[in-house]
Amino acid sequence: MNASTVRTVQKPKPNYETIAWKWMRYSALLLIPLVWGHVLLQDIIVGVHRIDLDYVALRWASIGWRTYDTLLLAFAFAHGVNGIRQVLRDYIHSPAKQKWLNWGLLAFWVVIVAIGGIALIGGVRTIP
Amino acid sequence: MSSFKTTMIGYVGYRGREGQISFLLHRITGLGTALFLTIHILDTSLVYFFPQLYSHAIDVYRTTAFGIGEIALVFSVLFHGVNGLRVAYVDLIAPKLWTIPKSRSSVRWTLAVTLILWLPAAGIMLYNILRHNYGLFGG
Repeated sequence: MNASTVRTVQKPKPNYETIAWKWMRYSALLLIPLVWGHVLLQDIIVGVHRIDLDYVALRWASIGWRTYDTLLLAFAFAHGVNGIRQVLRDYIHSPAKQKWLNWGLLAFWVVIVAIGGIALIGGVRTIP
Repeated sequence: MSSFKTTMIGYVGYRGREGQISFLLHRITGLGTALFLTIHILDTSLVYFFPQLYSHAIDVYRTTAFGIGEIALVFSVLFHGVNGLRVAYVDLIAPKLWTIPKSRSSVRWTLAVTLILWLPAAGIMLYNILRHNYGLFGG
């Protein structure tokens, strides 16, 4: 190709959105064994008809399963909320509204992760 | 809101074939899974905050309507995972595969792998619904 007709484009500097883009792909690699393992065990091998408070207490008696569920909570929900953000950004274009969207979803993420995290640390309480 | 309407009309009118189908399925399955995940974190948290309510939440999950939803959820998780692997692989490792013919055949493979993984799982979950909710198979 003739050099005079070639337009060179500078690679943009990595910013927050670059990190988010990479995060979706790298977290996904970890989520496939974590989520598929969780679904295989709880939905297919055990099944919802055999899950109750005692089952959760027994499962969470093991620090290994609590760590597994902590990883699920941390990676799956962050991946999910960022996914919701990416979808909504296709419909919300003004930078001001996008800023509100980012902060709103961050608050949503913090609240839900805090609730789940407290339950994971506190564990199953016996019914008085 | 007008941009939302335009986009929805565009999704229906645009004929992007496999690429468009995988884009739409990835969004629908992702949003569906994220919605369920939010509810699921909250219902599981009942074991600490309101343990006496946990059995009510589980009773809802045991109904036939939620059982069918569970089968759809497993499809969503499998498709989103297989298609996500496809997208991540082509984005990060083999961007030369981003051609229309290669994308079309890889989407077909993605759907085939998803169905192979999903059908046995769906069969087992359907068996559980029929056994526990309708007394079939000696339930």
